[in-house]
Amino acid sequence: MVEFLRIHRVEIATLTLEHVWLVAASMGIAVLIGVPAGILLTRKPRLREPVIGGANIIETIPSLALFGFLLPAPWLGARADRIAITALALYALLPIVRNTYVGITGVDPGVREAARGMGLTSRQMLWQVELPLSMSVILAGIRTATVLSIGIATIAAAIGAGGLGEFIFRGLAMVNDSLILAGAIPAAILALAADLGLGWLEARLRPPRT
Amino acid sequence: MGEPAIAFRGVTYRAQGRVLLGPLDLEVRPWETLVLLGRSGSGKTTALKLINRLLEESEGAVLVNGRPTREWDVITLRRHIGYVIQETGLFPHYSVERNVGLIPRLLGKPEPEIRERVDSMLRLVDLDPQEFRRRYPHQLSGGQRQRVGVARALAGDPEILLMDEPFGALDPLSRAEVQRQFLEVQKRVRKTTVLVTHDVGEALLLANRIALLEGGKLLGIYSLPEFLESSDKTVAAYRAAWSGNLQFPGDDCHGGIP
Ligand SMILES: Nc1ncnc2c1ncn2[C@@H]1O[C@H](COP(=O)(O)OP(=O)(O)O)[C@@H](O)[C@H]1O
Ligand SMILES: [Mg+2]
Repeated sequence: MVEFLRIHRVEIATLTLEHVWLVAASMGIAVLIGVPAGILLTRKPRLREPVIGGANIIETIPSLALFGFLLPAPWLGARADRIAITALALYALLPIVRNTYVGITGVDPGVREAARGMGLTSRQMLWQVELPLSMSVILAGIRTATVLSIGIATIAAAIGAGGLGEFIFRGLAMVNDSLILAGAIPAAILALAADLGLGWLEARLRPPRT
Repeated sequence: MGEPAIAFRGVTYRAQGRVLLGPLDLEVRPWETLVLLGRSGSGKTTALKLINRLLEESEGAVLVNGRPTREWDVITLRRHIGYVIQETGLFPHYSVERNVGLIPRLLGKPEPEIRERVDSMLRLVDLDPQEFRRRYPHQLSGGQRQRVGVARALAGDPEILLMDEPFGALDPLSRAEVQRQFLEVQKRVRKTTVLVTHDVGEALLLANRIALLEGGKLLGIYSLPEFLESSDKTVAAYRAAWSGNLQFPGDDCHGGIP
């Protein structure tokens, strides 16, 4: 095993970086779309059912199938990593949209009423009250999505998008446990690190309770 | 008497087809403290929220400084009116200084002026700025939080102050203390105040006049002597409930009033 690590260390490092890139890029996109979408839902409650419902449906598509569905999408070009990033971002949307919505609607009604009564505009309300007070809940959604993405990203290798899945698929084909572990262990470590790091941030941003 | 500071003119408020308040005609005089007294569900909060347009009347008009609230820019209207609610609605993620400085900051006042304002407001409600400026709401007692809520509402120097059961969540001793303290504040900065309570003792302590609400309707408006002498059955019932609380059975209800 040690010998194996020594020989493959460059490849392990490269694939880990690829993996991190897939997850980071997809999470970036998912946050940029999901948080504003969640905010929009709090302003237009009618959209809630269709949007959350749609995101739920995406979640039920098996990941391998979703990667496959996206292969022919013309605007993604031929680059496998873009397809993988799109698929991962789609999966990440649900927890992020849902937690943004839940976080903001969960803000203490007394605080909200006082803010409105004092004449905060709805934009001031968003930036000074709603976002700060729901940040930890939103981050919890991002954390869930990230941990999920790190796992699902291993499947991206099936469409040639790289990442730690390369080892796993190769190991499966060659019935080689060391190869599978070379993919699985770094992926598990990444997931654990993301979980701990974002969990720490989440706790720090949790507003004090009165 | 001059123009009323606030006037309800034939105001009705409906929700889901049900009349929750009104028709209501009521005038609040400049600089007076009018207490809206009534049991819970009588429409006190509804009436209060119609003044700063957290709710909008279904019929009639609410006038502030002679102008219907519907014609006001709603943000300007609200910044012109201080608002204190039970449990205060202090921002838990803001220090005392940022909570109290909120309105002056929104009004774009320069920082040194805001700092000075915050300190003077804290002193007004008898809190040492040195000690309390940097604390967060969760580091305050209930009574202190309520005082910070009052300081915050007054910081923008509004002409009108609305208070919805402001002291309702406090234990009896803290409540008495904060009520007394609020009387002191009122002596120093006179505002047109509408205060909602279901507590007769509080009404008698803080009011210039008492407006009695029941089932969304105004039963009457009473000065303190009128309230203490009225032969109206409801008023008498309130008086009885109150003197019952004083633990002097049989004592004449005039007894506690200076
Ligand atoms: N959003 C609402 N929808 C329907 N009914 C309401 C709503 N808010 C309050 N009510 C009803 O309106 C009446 C008056 O309520 P409120 O003004 O809060 O009374 P108070 O402050 O005197 O306790 C009550 O019967 C209450 O149940
Ligand atoms: Mg009420």
